[in-house]
Amino acid sequence: MNPRKINAVMRKEFIHLIRDPRSLILAFIIPLSLILLFGYALSLDVDNVETVVVDYDHTAMSRDLIEHLDASIYFQIKAYARNANEVGEYLDHGSATLGIIIPPGFARKIKSDKGSPIQVLMDGSDPNFSNMARGYVNAFVAGYNNKLLLSFLNRNGLERINPPVEGRIRVWFNEDLESRKFIIPGLIAVIIMIAGAMLTSLVIAREYENGTMETIKSLPLSALELLVGKSVPYFFIALTNVFISVLLGQLLFGVVMKASFWLMIFGSSLYIFVALALGLLISTVTKSQLMANQGAILLTYLPSLMLSNFVFPITNMPSVLQLFTYIVPATYYIDILSGIYLKDLTFTQLWGDFAVLSLMFIVLAALNMRLLKKEGL
Amino acid sequence: MSWMRIRELVRKEFIILFRDEKNRRVLIVAPIVQILLFGYVVNYDIKDIRVAVMDQARTSESRSLIKTIAGNKTFSITSYPEDPSGLEQLLLKGKVDIGIKIAPDMTSRIRKGRTAEIQILADGSMSNMASIRIAYTVMVLDTFNQNMIKEIKGQSLDYGHIDARIRAWYNPNMDSKNFFVPAIVAFVVMLLSLLLTSIAVIREKETGTLEQLIVTPLKPIEMIMGKTIPYIVISLVQMILVTILAKFWFDVPIAGSLPLLFLATCLFLMSTLGVGLFISTVSSTQQQAMMTTFFFILPFFMLSGFVFPIANMPVVVQWFSYLNPLRFFLVILRGIFLKGVGIHVLWPQFLALTILGTVLFAGAISRFQKRLD
Repeated sequence: MNPRKINAVMRKEFIHLIRDPRSLILAFIIPLSLILLFGYALSLDVDNVETVVVDYDHTAMSRDLIEHLDASIYFQIKAYARNANEVGEYLDHGSATLGIIIPPGFARKIKSDKGSPIQVLMDGSDPNFSNMARGYVNAFVAGYNNKLLLSFLNRNGLERINPPVEGRIRVWFNEDLESRKFIIPGLIAVIIMIAGAMLTSLVIAREYENGTMETIKSLPLSALELLVGKSVPYFFIALTNVFISVLLGQLLFGVVMKASFWLMIFGSSLYIFVALALGLLISTVTKSQLMANQGAILLTYLPSLMLSNFVFPITNMPSVLQLFTYIVPATYYIDILSGIYLKDLTFTQLWGDFAVLSLMFIVLAALNMRLLKKEGL
Repeated sequence: MSWMRIRELVRKEFIILFRDEKNRRVLIVAPIVQILLFGYVVNYDIKDIRVAVMDQARTSESRSLIKTIAGNKTFSITSYPEDPSGLEQLLLKGKVDIGIKIAPDMTSRIRKGRTAEIQILADGSMSNMASIRIAYTVMVLDTFNQNMIKEIKGQSLDYGHIDARIRAWYNPNMDSKNFFVPAIVAFVVMLLSLLLTSIAVIREKETGTLEQLIVTPLKPIEMIMGKTIPYIVISLVQMILVTILAKFWFDVPIAGSLPLLFLATCLFLMSTLGVGLFISTVSSTQQQAMMTTFFFILPFFMLSGFVFPIANMPVVVQWFSYLNPLRFFLVILRGIFLKGVGIHVLWPQFLALTILGTVLFAGAISRFQKRLD
């Protein structure tokens, strides 16, 4: 490995980047807009479900139920409708997402110690929402039934009784349950793939397309020198993006690391290595910029978005896909990120992820070097 | 306008695209991978909440609580740590979602008629999943309470209770895949048509053959047709492929009309091809075109209601989303697939797609023509 040769390749790549200022600027603008979009506009949290209520019963008991609904952390009563059709209109227009209909005879049935149905209508089109809303409804009903049971016991002269157990809930890691606290760190993994792998996937393919690969082959340049020289500029682009993301996350959205900043930078650098190696490998294999770009979207961007525990929990996936997540580098990097951002972990607890990422880097780089050597470099 | 010249150009595009075996492979593999990923991965169904129980009481009451939890099919108890640090490790390593600590004095408190505290430790990292897991845990404790009270009272209790009959509209089984799979049609069509059109023009620029094309008798409008028709064809084929997969592999119902779906795809293609042509006029290298394309795709994708509900977004962002053709196409897709509604309900979306498509396509054409003159 000759540093002067690497330097020459690197300079050429830098010149190439600077000559195309728009691509360079976009390599920063795209990550920036992702952070802003996710931070400001996109949220997966569902709280205060907007509820519209129809009370056909008009009794003290039905009003008590409504009061409890409104007081619970899950629901917020948006309006009172006169009949079920009106609830449908609210749902159709999206001005409420849940409708609760208390039938006539509600209080009578409960007072005569029978079960009374309440009808719950929800907008099921968004599964994240409807699953959460269903859970909330069930939890609310279970709690309210407990209250009814206790008042039944007390009313019937049975001795006063307390609920046997009560849950004392403590939330760890993301104490305020805010989705941006895990989305912003996870986004860094996607950003590095965009800024690192998608750009580098073009660099070798470009040489093939322009016919300059033959020239490079005739130079006294080894495969390793070519790869190192080609990736250095992109390493800095990706690393700068990490700094920008960390800074914006902290300043704009209050997403703060619990553990060491330098450990995060160490992990990020390692992950950038993997991303660059993957991008360059795609480039060597496809030899065409268009295919390299499609390949990079399929093999780097989509997996890091979808198969990495970023917003879609791995434990929910079918088991075959769960196996796939083991070969997605972002899975390990996101584990590191959530360890550092949320869980306050140290290197001794995270070394396994670091080891896997290092191994991935070595395998990808070695594979690429063998391919290039076969090509005659 | 000469159809023969257009036909020749179309033929040339197809030859270039299919000459390379890798191209052919990507064109088939890409949509399949995308539909499999989105169909299987994007899944918010709540199942298998992993629980660790640390039972310090070890009494019949605590065992009965554990049995209640294990009996609920949403939960699976994966481990029984002995001490608090074991429980902590499981949560830190992400091996369990919920930790339940039963204190030693549980039974004695219950027997005295007092309330025993059960500590629930929840991994909050994925906040949306955590909220729902907590709600389910609280529900299980309430179920246990009711059984316990009945047991203590030793008599069958028929007390007045409420019974929620939940009906989810538009997607009765609350199936995640029914929501996401139809949307993949849009994603696949957008990704390919946007990028391929712009690259088709840029490649001519890069290799210098654009100059040659200009000196041929080919008129700008013929060139635009020649450059877009192949990708309209490919996009429609992809659309059909994805729809077949959706129907027969994922069992997603297609309640509405297929010709309407076809029409909507064509209208949507006008927008994406327009943007693609526009990108080709402002870019000079493939790298620029790809980065610019990606820059357009991201907001299209994120602000469309694909994964993130538009209703949750700030109002200003919601206004912006009205400029997003994908937003309207998704409503149409989900409307046709899930709700089976027709043009009498979806006409505003069709109108919006037509307007956006016409503006974008016409704008791109006029810009393109100026560039060539």
